[in-house]
Amino acid sequence: MIRLRGVTKTYTRGGETLVVLDHLDLDMEEGGFFALMGPSGSGKTTLLNLIGGLDHCDSGQIIVDGEDIARMSGPELAAWRAETVGFVFQGFNLIPVLTAQENVELPLLLTDLSRRERHEHARLALELVGLDDRRGHRPSQLSGGQEQRVAIARAFVTDPKMILADEPTGDLDRKSADDVLTLLVRLNREFGKTILMVTHDAQAADRARAIVHMEKGGTLGRIERRERQPAPI
Amino acid sequence: MVPLRLVTKNLAKHKLRFALTVLSLAIAIFLLCVLRSLVVALNAGVAAAASNRVIVQSKVSLFVYLPQSYGPKLALVDGVESIVRWNWFGGYYQEPSNFFAQFATDGKQLFEVYDELEIVDGSAEDFLRDRKACLLGQDTALKYGKKVGDTFPIIGTIFARLDGEPWDFQIAGIYRSSKATLDSNTLFFHYEFLEKSLEAGATVGPSGVGIFVLKLAPGADPVAVMSEVDAMFENGPQVVQATTEAEFQAQFVSMVGNVPMFVSSIGGGVMLAILLAALNTMLMSAREQTRDVGVLKALGFTDGSVFGILLAQGLVLCGTGGVIGILLAKVSEPGMTRMLSSMFPGYQVTDGTVMEAAGATLAIGLLSGIAPALRARSLSVIDALRAVR
Repeated sequence: MIRLRGVTKTYTRGGETLVVLDHLDLDMEEGGFFALMGPSGSGKTTLLNLIGGLDHCDSGQIIVDGEDIARMSGPELAAWRAETVGFVFQGFNLIPVLTAQENVELPLLLTDLSRRERHEHARLALELVGLDDRRGHRPSQLSGGQEQRVAIARAFVTDPKMILADEPTGDLDRKSADDVLTLLVRLNREFGKTILMVTHDAQAADRARAIVHMEKGGTLGRIERRERQPAPI
Repeated sequence: MVPLRLVTKNLAKHKLRFALTVLSLAIAIFLLCVLRSLVVALNAGVAAAASNRVIVQSKVSLFVYLPQSYGPKLALVDGVESIVRWNWFGGYYQEPSNFFAQFATDGKQLFEVYDELEIVDGSAEDFLRDRKACLLGQDTALKYGKKVGDTFPIIGTIFARLDGEPWDFQIAGIYRSSKATLDSNTLFFHYEFLEKSLEAGATVGPSGVGIFVLKLAPGADPVAVMSEVDAMFENGPQVVQATTEAEFQAQFVSMVGNVPMFVSSIGGGVMLAILLAALNTMLMSAREQTRDVGVLKALGFTDGSVFGILLAQGLVLCGTGGVIGILLAKVSEPGMTRMLSSMFPGYQVTDGTVMEAAGATLAIGLLSGIAPALRARSLSVIDALRAVR
């Protein structure tokens, strides 16, 4: 489903060019749960951003479901993101002035759903992450773990094909992190979502079906595949 | 797609900042309405001036009196139907601050020349019958609580009485004017009363006539009449200047300086200051929302949507202030009209002024919203998400 060929990404900082991804080739099948691991500066987050259409590569192809998103224009990418990808960020990135319900409804504004349907979809998503009773709470009134679960609800409420998570447990305690990982595993196993998760946490990576190791300098290391995924906690 | 709930909630996030900005906008728009209304009031007489009236005054100055003997000669000019004398009295009621316009005039001719003058209480006959009677504008009557039958003592300044007493005028009628050419604040009394008092030595002051107002017969050519009048007194003893009523009113407005320009300058300054204040608020607000912009873009909202959200915030912020300002101007209109009746008779917040204020509000909203909106539109998702909240 996801095929990267010769993907190169460089940044220029203070006149110096930094190669973040260097002619990267990678294949990831649909319905997989991939953990991206590697040292700082190995290009994990950059790779996630490129696959999620948040950034453009300098060269190469990023083919998702047969479409080369590296060739898409800004508005095309925006429409593609709205339909195909759900994002979960380390800092949760909920809109602080909106309630949990409103945050989850936000991506549904880009669909053809009626107001009532949007409301119902968001309610169901929050119910699925166990926060039905926190619908009217603003992010500041929620714990970190609850915020991240709202963010997960927002990520899958539009029923995207893949969910990209950048250090989703980085700011959470162990218990909350486990809850979040369990949710991601459920989304992968029960709903068939393809999940890409950047993490430094070996325990978190253990919950994935495959671990993609990135090397310093933006090259691909080994890919560790697991025959059997551990059961959710 | 612009999520309106997000627009309003972002504005309401800092309630005090929002309230203060809205309040300053409301005051600025209110001030704009007031200033524009003053200009409208000043120009109202010019705009409504009758085309069948010609004013004859000294060519030297409005303050130089014309000989009484000019009256009969002017009445004989071809095309002149009626003629009335006006003399500025310049008195006040009780205190110098209670100043308003009073004129000595010819009672009967006043009604002939000014058909917009309508008696709302008392009668023209009572006024014409009594030499000491006066007609009082209804706004002034209301202001000082005067009614028909009351004595209205006016202290003369140009025509001070030698016994030190005020002039006691009997109110025979209350009038209002149906046109802006005549205000509803003035006190008219008989020229004859002033003339006899001067002759009797009961008062001191200049003799002569301030202005003659000529009412032209239907079909008469004002230009021809004015030319004939100017030529008639070309060799004195006082050279005259005949003008249309519109020119005369315009001359009055210009006597106090270029008021429209002055008022517009103040209005422009106020608008510029408030634009900068609104822009500052919007830029601060937009900077705080940088990360939200990144989230929205990541979710699939386009650059245009994000632009729309920030622009809408500017418009809602300024629109709220503008609407409050305009409402304040409309609500305060009756009070302002009363308060400014002496200096600016005819003060009113016209539909044109409301439209101008609405236009200024829209312009401030667009200008204050567009800079943060452009910034948000051009932000990359990655840079926006990196912003510290």
